[in-house]
Amino acid sequence: MKKTWLRDYIIKRLLYAIFIAWAVLTVTFVMVRVGPTSPADKYLSNLAAQGQDTSQVMAAIEARYGVDRPIYEQYLNYITNLGRGDWGWSLSTSMSVMELIKAHWIYSFQLIFLSSIFAAIIGILIGIYSAVRQYSKTDYIATFFSFIGISIPNFWLGVMLILLFSVNLGLFKTYYDTSLSLLSLANLKQLILPVITLGTGMLAGYTRYTRSAMLENLRKDFVKTARAKGLPERTVIGKHVFRNAVLPLVTIIMFDLGSIVFGGAYLTEIIFGIPGLGQISFNAIFADDYAVVVAVTVISAFLILMINLITDITYTYLDPRIRYD
Amino acid sequence: MTNRLKSTRSITRKVDRVKNLAFIIAMVLLVTTLLLDIFVIEMIFDLLTYLYIALGLLFVRYGIPLLYASRRLIQYYWQRAIKNKLAVGGLVFILLLILLAFIGPLFTVDPTAVNFDEKNLPPLGFTIEESVYKIETKQFITSRITGTSEHPLGTDDKGRDLLAMIVSGTRVSLQVGLFATGIAIILGTLIGVSAAYLGGKTDNILMRFTDIMMTFPFFLLLVFIVFIFGPNLALIVIVIGLTGWTGTARLIRSESLSLRTREFVMASKALGASDRRIILSHLIPNVISLIIVIATLSIPGVILAEAALSFIGLGDPSVASWGMILKAGQQNLDTTWWVAVAPGIMLFLTVLAFNFLGDGLRDAFDPRSNI
Amino acid sequence: MKELKVLAVLLIIAVLVGSSCQVPQEAKGVYISGTSAGDAETLNWILAADSASFGYIGHTLDSLVTYDNEWNVQLRCAARDVEVSGDGLVYTVTIRDDLKWGDESQVTAEDYVYTMKNLMFSDWLNYTYKSDWQEEVNGETVFVTPEVVNKTTFTITRRTVDPEFIYTVRTLTPYPKYIASKYEGDVESFTQAPEFNKLTYTGNLGPYKFVEWIRNDKFVVERNPEYYLGTDTDAPYFEQYIVKIFGTPAIQHAALEAGDISYAGIDPPHVAKFQAMEQINVYTMPTTGYLFLAYNLRDNGWEGLKQKEVRQALSMAISKDLLIEKVLIGFGEPAFSFIPVTSPWYVDKGSAKYGVESLLDKEKAKERLVETGHATQRADGSIEITDKEGKPLKLTLITNSGNDIRENVGYLVKEELLTIGIEVELKFVPWATELRKYLMNKVPGTGQELRYNNGVGAVSEESWDLMVMGVTTLPLSPSGQDVFYATQGGLNFWGYSNSPVDELFQRIRSEEALDEGARKQLYAELSQLVAEEQPVNFLAFQLANAGFQKNVKGIEPGINMGYNYHLWYFE
Repeated sequence: MKKTWLRDYIIKRLLYAIFIAWAVLTVTFVMVRVGPTSPADKYLSNLAAQGQDTSQVMAAIEARYGVDRPIYEQYLNYITNLGRGDWGWSLSTSMSVMELIKAHWIYSFQLIFLSSIFAAIIGILIGIYSAVRQYSKTDYIATFFSFIGISIPNFWLGVMLILLFSVNLGLFKTYYDTSLSLLSLANLKQLILPVITLGTGMLAGYTRYTRSAMLENLRKDFVKTARAKGLPERTVIGKHVFRNAVLPLVTIIMFDLGSIVFGGAYLTEIIFGIPGLGQISFNAIFADDYAVVVAVTVISAFLILMINLITDITYTYLDPRIRYD
Repeated sequence: MTNRLKSTRSITRKVDRVKNLAFIIAMVLLVTTLLLDIFVIEMIFDLLTYLYIALGLLFVRYGIPLLYASRRLIQYYWQRAIKNKLAVGGLVFILLLILLAFIGPLFTVDPTAVNFDEKNLPPLGFTIEESVYKIETKQFITSRITGTSEHPLGTDDKGRDLLAMIVSGTRVSLQVGLFATGIAIILGTLIGVSAAYLGGKTDNILMRFTDIMMTFPFFLLLVFIVFIFGPNLALIVIVIGLTGWTGTARLIRSESLSLRTREFVMASKALGASDRRIILSHLIPNVISLIIVIATLSIPGVILAEAALSFIGLGDPSVASWGMILKAGQQNLDTTWWVAVAPGIMLFLTVLAFNFLGDGLRDAFDPRSNI
Repeated sequence: MKELKVLAVLLIIAVLVGSSCQVPQEAKGVYISGTSAGDAETLNWILAADSASFGYIGHTLDSLVTYDNEWNVQLRCAARDVEVSGDGLVYTVTIRDDLKWGDESQVTAEDYVYTMKNLMFSDWLNYTYKSDWQEEVNGETVFVTPEVVNKTTFTITRRTVDPEFIYTVRTLTPYPKYIASKYEGDVESFTQAPEFNKLTYTGNLGPYKFVEWIRNDKFVVERNPEYYLGTDTDAPYFEQYIVKIFGTPAIQHAALEAGDISYAGIDPPHVAKFQAMEQINVYTMPTTGYLFLAYNLRDNGWEGLKQKEVRQALSMAISKDLLIEKVLIGFGEPAFSFIPVTSPWYVDKGSAKYGVESLLDKEKAKERLVETGHATQRADGSIEITDKEGKPLKLTLITNSGNDIRENVGYLVKEELLTIGIEVELKFVPWATELRKYLMNKVPGTGQELRYNNGVGAVSEESWDLMVMGVTTLPLSPSGQDVFYATQGGLNFWGYSNSPVDELFQRIRSEEALDEGARKQLYAELSQLVAEEQPVNFLAFQLANAGFQKNVKGIEPGINMGYNYHLWYFE
């Protein structure tokens, strides 16, 4: 009984996700291709800067970049290729779009994943602490520190950290070295500064979330009961309050991961020279490389929708009171 | 008894009509000037000024009455909020900042005045060694440069006074923060409340649209549009406003959903009030505290987004925002560090102040909420 | 006799010492070259247009010859220098017989001729630089004719004389016929061909072999043990050569300081700091780029600019020394024409030197402007420029935002012109906007497509008067600058037209200039003419600063510093 209901629900949500992804694709495609800039612009302005007369080759270059045909034809062509699983060829990096994304997603993912863990651990600890002592001096200090992170422009913080720790103290390399194996300790070490830079920006969210979830649960009857039973405070907080507060936190972490894989870590990537998807996507924008821009937007949209779906399903399993119609 | 009620109501209606008329006339005047500006005479004001005036008019027409109507509620929350010392500190800082933005320029020198003879002066009290090229001898000479009281924060690599630049940048950053947030909040509130109140198909369409907007990565979209249409402060403000409303819409919708079925809404519906009237005078006043909290918490993000845009080279080159100063100074952080440090600290403190204030307000409003 | 002996001994010692310094025992180390100018677009050279792409490919693929710092020819793939027939029409190229493709097959003249005929000159591929290989014959544009002579020799035949065509020929690099013919006719599959995108075909044609290219991160090549120049010398001496891309110059500087990279370009404000560092060598070198102030000579610019005397007066009011001192922080040489001092065609004497010494004269500048009737004198002695109706005028100066040096030049020009009473309004616009709205032009009201030079009557969308720009020139063939200064020049966006200048450009590309002495004379005339004419105000040739870790040896600083980089080594 429950199974068929769940299956229908998932199918419905999947169809909906496909619809949204298609809408995002179309909007992005039209925006990239209708805007006043053209993929051939960068190429032609490079030529002009070298003192080459571009007027003779302009038409040829536009033909090479496939932008000489009418927009609906380009769109149909794109959709047909997509139907065959071909995401196109990135002209600004000379690679197929899928290969490009496959080669670079891991750099963004590891950075964002570690930053989330870093921010979640510290954020949750601060959150619990300040919820337990609401409105006390320690609550203020905790809030103060978690907000410092969100208030420092992270590109500024990144450069400061490099100058201090890499140049003056010589503790780290000044840039991210892709030749180190991803699972090695050295790789973990070189991610310390980027993770701090990105993680401090995410910290406040977790603190805030934990604090409010804890406060909500602290007022519940079962806490009072537990306390009345004479259980030690540590057990009450850890077992009763935190366990109930942690569920929504999982959602928030998941959502963070999904929404910033593409682009969210861009500034951090630039500063530390990490060749992640942020750099790939933004350089594609600047080069008007529409195949990459469209692919990145659509995939990230789809990812966000899938994460929403998964969290919703997890919720139904973990919390039987929730039902979807 | 009923007569008196009727006459009060008709007076209110009359006053409303006058207000509406005045508002519409003002808006029409504004649009006419804008059209004149674009097509006939060039540049009476810049585009941003029109945006400000329009938002100002909207605020006077709808914002002030709304705030006035819910003054008791606001007062109550205010009492709770000022218990939070960090929030009060944030508020004081923001007020000082606004004061600085308005009267600061009267006391500082021209922030755009370039003077190559006074470039790279350190702040007052600092001395640095700098190697200077002399064309007469064709040699580099190392000389010691000390900060002067004329330029208390020093100068940049073009000899512009940093203090003056910071002060004029204050106005830009506040403008961007306030107005982009203003647009986003207005849109988000209207869409959220309408979706909740009208329900059914409208709700469905509006929320599907919100879903689509939400799945676009925000910063990617922002960079994308600014890159295509060229960096211009008005465009940046509008784009941040037009893309940043989705979260607000969702929160406001879920908040208003419960209000929709409350007695006072039902009652005024039964009395024949129009949808517009119910939305404006019943629903929105009841979510106003939520709106204020969301607004305060969105401003820092917007200010940082503008700075980030400047950092990647998409800031408006004709406006010296903190982000633009920071970007220019960043390249020489190892030598003329003060150029990047001063705007960095201002940016940091401002964002911090808004965050503290917003956090305090949220706590006062509902400590369990997760905005 | 005895003295000679001593001399001989000394010479031998010098040679021994020299050679032991020159050739280290073995190749070692990873050389990392930092850049913050962005990543390349492609490794398929025929499709490339950006210098980063050509730079990457160049590590694996040599051209026919290259030049040292004094522009002497250094043979690479060519066995001897390109020979030109007496009538200047036939170019004979002889390549080395030990060049090999990736599959060990020999690189032959056939590959070169195939590359030209079937790829560069083809319709389907649309080679970007094909106009360099074309000539005008009886009003028709035709390609030159390449022909195979034998396995290692081919000829290129022109029908018109162009003494500067040889510089184009020398840059030739080949595609392997046996691979390229698979993709012939299909631009899409040629673009995506794995052999070309992974440079698997380059064999022993370059000092390094392709390893990997991580986009926006690094381009890695490793020592090519088969390199044809390495058979006696064992060159190159780095195990790996990496181009590392930085997102911002600040971090690139930090990486050089921290010793994480071997080389980085240094921006002028940081030079002194790096010079003071013990572990870094800083070399200052000439570049091929020059800064200039362009005048809008089209109908939407101030009409005074069309008069030579007005342009001269403006140039007299702007001090080039001040510009070099304040803006370039010492790293520049004053420019008086587009021919740099480093060019073999540079002649020092005879040119008017506006903006320095006696031709830097603000009083005279004012006098001249008043004389021409485009300005009126105020009571305080300063002047005010006026438009056609005699109304006071402000000049608009444009440059691209984000380019610090050009912005600063703008500020300096504004200050300098203000000292004679001319007001300048500065407008910094993004590069793309500058191209579209200020440079490209068309005759208003027509359906013309926007181009950089649409001839007489064409104007840009937005009006402007002055523009700070920088372009690179080729010191070996400065006549390529005709795209900017000839009436028909494709990038002559400011609308400059002067028939003596046009004629000189043509004569340099004709039979008369085959003799190098005669050509030098023509170039001297040309540079004198433009120095006098001031089509633009030539401001300065920039100097570049390169920072190396001290342990990198074998560097010969100069304009073509990298020409012998396969002989560089770590101490």
